[in-house]
Amino acid sequence: MRFTIYQESRLGGRKNNEDRTTYCYSRDALLMVVADGMGGHHYGEVAAQFAVQALAEAFQREARPTLADPFLFMQKAMLSAHQAIADFATSHRLEDSPRTTCVACIVQNNIAYWAHAGDSRLFLMRDGRIVARTRDHSRIQLLLDEGMITAEQAATHPDRNKIYSCLGGPTSPEIDFSRKTPLEHGDILLLCTDGLWGVTPAESMAAALKGRDLMQAVPRLLDQTELHGGPHRDNLSVVAVRWEDTCIEDVTTSISTQAMAEDEVTTRLDQFGRNPAYKSELSDDEIEKAIDEIRAAIAKYNPKQ
Amino acid sequence: MAQQANHPLPNGYRLEEYTIERQLSLGGFSIVYLAADADGRQVAIKEYLPNSLALRGEGETRPNIDAEHLGAFRYGMKCFFEEGRSLARLSHPNVIRVLNFFRANDTVYMVMPYEEGRTLQEYIQKHHGQISERFIRGVFTRMLNGLREVHAHKLLHLDLKPSNIYLRNDNTPVLIDFGAARQTLASDQPILKPMYTPGFASPEHYGKRDNLGPWSDIYSVGAAMYACLAGSSPPAADERLKEDHLAPAMQRWAGQYSERLLEIVDWCLNLDHLCRPQSVFSLQKALVETVIPPKPNRHPGNWLGRFVEKLNKPIL
Repeated sequence: MRFTIYQESRLGGRKNNEDRTTYCYSRDALLMVVADGMGGHHYGEVAAQFAVQALAEAFQREARPTLADPFLFMQKAMLSAHQAIADFATSHRLEDSPRTTCVACIVQNNIAYWAHAGDSRLFLMRDGRIVARTRDHSRIQLLLDEGMITAEQAATHPDRNKIYSCLGGPTSPEIDFSRKTPLEHGDILLLCTDGLWGVTPAESMAAALKGRDLMQAVPRLLDQTELHGGPHRDNLSVVAVRWEDTCIEDVTTSISTQAMAEDEVTTRLDQFGRNPAYKSELSDDEIEKAIDEIRAAIAKYNPKQ
Repeated sequence: MAQQANHPLPNGYRLEEYTIERQLSLGGFSIVYLAADADGRQVAIKEYLPNSLALRGEGETRPNIDAEHLGAFRYGMKCFFEEGRSLARLSHPNVIRVLNFFRANDTVYMVMPYEEGRTLQEYIQKHHGQISERFIRGVFTRMLNGLREVHAHKLLHLDLKPSNIYLRNDNTPVLIDFGAARQTLASDQPILKPMYTPGFASPEHYGKRDNLGPWSDIYSVGAAMYACLAGSSPPAADERLKEDHLAPAMQRWAGQYSERLLEIVDWCLNLDHLCRPQSVFSLQKALVETVIPPKPNRHPGNWLGRFVEKLNKPIL
């Protein structure tokens, strides 16, 4: 497999980031997940973390190097996350269960499989156009589908954030599954939370990413979305992958899984809690001091021969 | 975080007194170059360049670091200094040395001697399942000399694995890549993002990091020996804690390697850190003890069996 992948989750204008993203790949399979913990409920970020972890851990266990049944895999992992969230609520005696949306996608043997609950979305982009997407589990989507409201009305509708399926909560989630979708060279799969799609229309995203290097184009897309999102903008998160033909060797930023062992899985998942990296700063003086110290140690213990 | 690939410095680039010859490897945290020093000697130069925080475009020498990433970039630099500090104080034939350390292009560089060879990982891949006991004992006994020196400086390697054990052309091992090494006594440091490799990291890496100790590196040594036998890494320790599918070396290779060696591998891979060898010295002692040849059960009595047994007998 060969692909270019980029993931990022941003705070937006909020105090807390309740979005979580992850991707993992084995030699022959790729998993991507985006989850958006629900703000109205406590511990939204816990629920989102459960969702991405449940999928990532199951993938690490089962991708040997492919999954026997990707749809069944996603169903089982999402339901087990739902159960884990419920257990968390019980063990912490929470009055209300934390909740999260979840969209997951597997690619293996050049075929994409995806599943979702809630209003985090997947778009399949080809040649700058949207060729497939998920349908939100929201009342707004139902109204749209029935032609009761227009897209413009939907964008400002007061109920636009209300969803009827999610992981966590009293009822079992409704999970929608895609068809088996063969991928072509250059196809982009983009998974995102409403912080992104709610501000930047999918068609604009597809146009912005067409033919560009995802490593630069996706962060730029997030920059622009933040710019338009206003001061109270939501958390925004994305995982985007460009699928490439194994035989075409041109891009240096892409990942090739050819050399991986059959039972090896690489996972990109941020640790729970805030990134510890931001806690400390290192001043220029401290850098100089550290280097001097190391050079002194070299001179003392490893003098030039 | 972003997964990006950085452009390396161009071949022929002058970096202080060094001339870059080519890129040797590209990791998530750094780029390693082959370069020549002023006297024309080959060196390896490691450039701190975490690809999630600093991006260098084609034809550029300085990486672009977003203002919002500067804090994290500098924090990662601390870890790079940590590695430099650890290595600078060690002087041992089985541990990579640091020749120089300097700042340039808005980042930092560590210079190490370059030697021809390959990693144990490459060796395992090439000789999949065909590694002799003699080789394993030889390499690991000497590698442990280096690890002993590391532990003697109150340091832990914490990322020991076949790809971090470099074999010179004469098969003498050198410990490389101390990116995860931390001074164990400096416990006031903020918790660092755990860095480990599944399959080789000890159970303590995942859970109670307070329990990290020499025995944690010893677990990794056991996993690396296991990988020599199996041709691939053992299951990850966190998976083993849930449900242990690790086939004990004693069973899996009974008769093919000496019982003592297999016993040592299983001993190191014990999930309970208190049940492993507690020091490199005790492990080394076990490893150099007289070898008991495998029991000749398979070929009882007949002359051919005895002959085969003789051939299989490991030589120390």
